[in-house]
Amino acid sequence: MNTLFAQKPSCKFIGLVQGLTFTALFLVLASCGVSTITIEGSFPSPSVQAEPLKVAVYYDDALRDFSYIEYSEAGAEEFDIRSGNSAIELFNALLPGMFAEVVVIDSLEDADSFGVDVIFEPLIEEFQLALPEKTKLNVYEVWMRFNMRLTEPDGGFIADWMVTSYGKTPVETFRSSESAINEAAVIAFRDLASSFALSFRRVPGVRDWLETQDRN
Amino acid sequence: MLKVLRIVSGLSVALISSCTSTTLDEFRQGETGLATDESIVILGRRQSSDYETRTEFVECVGERMGNEGISVISEQPFIDALFPWFEPRSAPMRPADLGRILEQPSVAEKVGNFGVRYIVWIDGQTEMVDSAGTISCTLSPGGAGCFGGGIRDFQAQYEASVWDVANLTSVGNIAADATGTTYIAAVVVPFILPARVEPISCDRLASQLAGFIMGE
Repeated sequence: MNTLFAQKPSCKFIGLVQGLTFTALFLVLASCGVSTITIEGSFPSPSVQAEPLKVAVYYDDALRDFSYIEYSEAGAEEFDIRSGNSAIELFNALLPGMFAEVVVIDSLEDADSFGVDVIFEPLIEEFQLALPEKTKLNVYEVWMRFNMRLTEPDGGFIADWMVTSYGKTPVETFRSSESAINEAAVIAFRDLASSFALSFRRVPGVRDWLETQDRN
Repeated sequence: MLKVLRIVSGLSVALISSCTSTTLDEFRQGETGLATDESIVILGRRQSSDYETRTEFVECVGERMGNEGISVISEQPFIDALFPWFEPRSAPMRPADLGRILEQPSVAEKVGNFGVRYIVWIDGQTEMVDSAGTISCTLSPGGAGCFGGGIRDFQAQYEASVWDVANLTSVGNIAADATGTTYIAAVVVPFILPARVEPISCDRLASQLAGFIMGE
């Protein structure tokens, strides 16, 4: 009498189990590598009163190529976050709404040839990321700190100040960590733009310089 | 047998759904009414550090109010058009702050173009407040299955504040509080009867807001 336990497993069944095992192993190994996130978002133009200035903006390579590495608790690289292009897109959307005319220059020496009133150079100083599995909160958080520098075309100093920004997004079922980090970073960029646009005239060096411009 | 199972399932769903209880409190401070060429915009409050009002809930309320014949402007297009004045950092916290924002000519023009008469601020969240029970699942070459049971208690608390843009005053608040229990049972296959706390809160709040806006 043949019983279930006396029958040998078929070749097909063995092949299926092997296939599933290899697939599961592959997925586990794939998840162990670093995940690269290039921040992408859309940034609106601001509804503010534009300053009657022609501004040259210079994006240093340090900004263009900025990358932040998040490490796991075991010390392995977990996320590689590249935000340079997004920062440039943000300022390219923001500055034309704040100033009468904006030109992007490839080097600080080019500014004179454009006949600009002022040179603006943003630099990212710090980027921080907080993951829910580490903080035990149900949010992904991003902090950024930018150094904003304003100089005259001949190199004369006008102002140099820091702007910090913050963005968070809640944990959601069926949303990947990469998507959540991107969203938190985009919110932080919008916060940066909001803070910069609304406080520009109140920066002491900028305020004093604008007053001299108004008198002239 | 199948027929009996269907009847039992249907009754269970009806019974469980009725286990969600909702409380609404309305406080009126001024007269309201909406002309045919006027609209409202519903915005979520996102200033808190430990939670934020979900976009999906705000959209739900807007959609339900739209079904009752009220012209509702979508949240994100409004925020983008009036950037950076309604970001979490810069959003007005009182009607007087809105007045200062509207002193910006470009902002007043855009709000006028939208035809916004009322801004509705929604603040709150849905969260799990208690849980009990355990479910364990196993996977083996012989088969897979889950066994166990549990309950999850949810609470939704939202408050809607209505601002009259024309008069720059607060005309009232509506608070919605809902609680419900999700039941989970697993005999090989998990079976979940969810507490529809958030959708029910959305429906009740939207219905109450619609009546409030129309001056009922």
